[in-house]
Amino acid sequence: MSIIDLLRMSIGNLKRRKLRTFLTVLGVIIGTASIVVMISLGMGLQRSLYEEVEQSGGLTMLTVTGKSAGDAMTYYGGEEDDTTKYITDDTIKEIAGVEHVTLAAPVYEMSAYALKGKYMGYINLIGTTKEAMEAQNMPLKEGGSFPKEGGNVLELVYGNGVLMQFYDKNGGSGYWETGELPDIDLEKDSLFLILDVQSYDDMRYGDGSSGTTHTAKKHVVKASGVVDGDVETYTPFYYSAYCDVTTLKNMLKKEFSGRVIPGQPSTKTGKPYKFFAYSSARVKVDDLDHVEEVSNTLRELGYNVDSNIEYMESMKKQFAIVQAVLGGIGAVSLLVAAIGIANTMMMSIYERTKEIGVFKVLGCSLKNIKQLFLLEAAFIGFLGGVIGNILSFAISGVINFVVGSAGDAMGMSSGISYIPPWLALASIGFAVLVGMVAGYFPALRAMRLSPLAAIRNE
Amino acid sequence: MENVIEVHNLYKLYRVGDSVVRALNGVDFEIHQGEFCAIVGTSGSGKSTLLNMLAGLEKPTKGEIIIGGQHIEKLKEDELVSFRRDNVGFIFQSFHLIGTMNALENVALPLTFRGEGRTSRLKKADQMLELVNLKKHKKHLPNQMSGGQQQRVGVARALVVNPKIIFADEPTGNLDSHTSEEVMKLMQDVVRKQNKTLVMVTHDDHLATYADRVFHIIDGEIVRIEDNRGRKEALQTLKEEKKEKKAENKEQRV
Repeated sequence: MSIIDLLRMSIGNLKRRKLRTFLTVLGVIIGTASIVVMISLGMGLQRSLYEEVEQSGGLTMLTVTGKSAGDAMTYYGGEEDDTTKYITDDTIKEIAGVEHVTLAAPVYEMSAYALKGKYMGYINLIGTTKEAMEAQNMPLKEGGSFPKEGGNVLELVYGNGVLMQFYDKNGGSGYWETGELPDIDLEKDSLFLILDVQSYDDMRYGDGSSGTTHTAKKHVVKASGVVDGDVETYTPFYYSAYCDVTTLKNMLKKEFSGRVIPGQPSTKTGKPYKFFAYSSARVKVDDLDHVEEVSNTLRELGYNVDSNIEYMESMKKQFAIVQAVLGGIGAVSLLVAAIGIANTMMMSIYERTKEIGVFKVLGCSLKNIKQLFLLEAAFIGFLGGVIGNILSFAISGVINFVVGSAGDAMGMSSGISYIPPWLALASIGFAVLVGMVAGYFPALRAMRLSPLAAIRNE
Repeated sequence: MENVIEVHNLYKLYRVGDSVVRALNGVDFEIHQGEFCAIVGTSGSGKSTLLNMLAGLEKPTKGEIIIGGQHIEKLKEDELVSFRRDNVGFIFQSFHLIGTMNALENVALPLTFRGEGRTSRLKKADQMLELVNLKKHKKHLPNQMSGGQQQRVGVARALVVNPKIIFADEPTGNLDSHTSEEVMKLMQDVVRKQNKTLVMVTHDDHLATYADRVFHIIDGEIVRIEDNRGRKEALQTLKEEKKEKKAENKEQRV
């Protein structure tokens, strides 16, 4: 029998019992949809992780930390104990000399105040190099550029959420309470930046008890760019303002001349060291294959190394578990559907015992009979798989719509549920396979029916 | 004349509880090319068993069945299927048409199993339906046709593959006597014209008179083989003489 005749006959048989076919297919639809939707949730999580990693420099970016320096909001948990080395200019040179390293940039993080009219903001200032900023794939709003290197004037790149950190100096209520953003155009307005936070606070609160007579300088700063996105969109650069590290270093040295810059190491007598210690270094490796090698080398040099790849690996393991659990839940419903298919095929064979017998007497080969029933079962699986996928896309759309805003805040810019094309195809293929497996034994049974018993007149 | 079917020393034993039933108890016969044979016997005489064995639906306990020079008692099931596909047409008592297919598709079904293309098989089926005078009904489903019409579709289906042999298992068993006569005449006619070998099983002695030879089977043994051909010719001449006489009478009256 030709494949077209087989197909035509199988589909004809399914059409003959429309309701029963529909119910069986419905089982497969639900099974497929639950698997696909469940896995799509896992895929969505994974994709947003990838995007985050991609945004923060991809998998070849390493963060090297030494002994804690700087005055940052972020901490690289508990690393002070492991190492005694600071990240200094010498370190950067040393790292840059390591094989496979294409970029080594110092990073200095500190807190600062920004002033504009009646508003005051608390800013996490991150000084690094232009190259490092570029390597991090920082998306800038149109017209923006990265700060010039080594300039005398500090230029900032603001994170898209920086405005949320501002509050009214007099009223004291900020964005978090009022939900209103301060009337500041970060792109155009000049701001005053206070680096000597301690002195400024002393001055503000009129508490001269510390005995310092330093006046905190107000540095005029302009933006060179703003990170793309509004305050609702999450990016890894959300809260911080970025500037050139050399400029920042020079300004700090000037401001705190003769004193210890807050966060910098000092001698036992309270004098500053000659060197300037950075918070961390960002290191880019030329190829994914060398990331581990470079990490190990740097560790041997006595630094702590964080790489996205290690983070990824551990996350991947977690996602694999999440996906297995979610997929397993879906698989149970597909298993039930498979039993449904087997049952339907069995029923169908009982009903058509006579017909099968006649087929055999008229010379339909055993192989063809088996194929006929297998095709029928496969077709049920296929139909269920296709419709199930359509349903999955609909459900996925609804999920993304419903949790859309929440997803944004969590950093899932592209939705919590994501169905990649391969998942759609694989699930259809799987549904067909399930149909065929479920239909195999009924088909075998049909094949083995004795033609004589089948056509005997009752 | 060439022997299409040869049966030698055929036995079929069934075990029913502790006792053994001899459905066929040493049967020997030959059927020639172009012959119309009837196997006649009462219920339980073994006639259906014999037919099933000839068609390769049942395996003999002992003995030989040679059809067209091929020993079919040794064939495996899939070989038997392909043997039937190529050599045998089958007419059933309860027609066994496929309910979802119309008359034309039913007739074309065995050709489908042979892998023949749609257009050519429908054309052949169409010709066959014309042969059995059902051209008007070719789009009808089985349940839209009378028993006689259905069995004519069955005959067309058996003939469409141009088989060497046609087996008919009580072909008129589900028909009333008038329709039975029609179907029998059709079968006889077709077999004559196309020079086919037809083996029919029946319990009806009267229907058996349509056959060239009649095998009487009792308790699994062939007890008598009746050759009708001579008698039929005699009958034919008798009828013709009667007709002539009538015609003469008419002429005389006129």
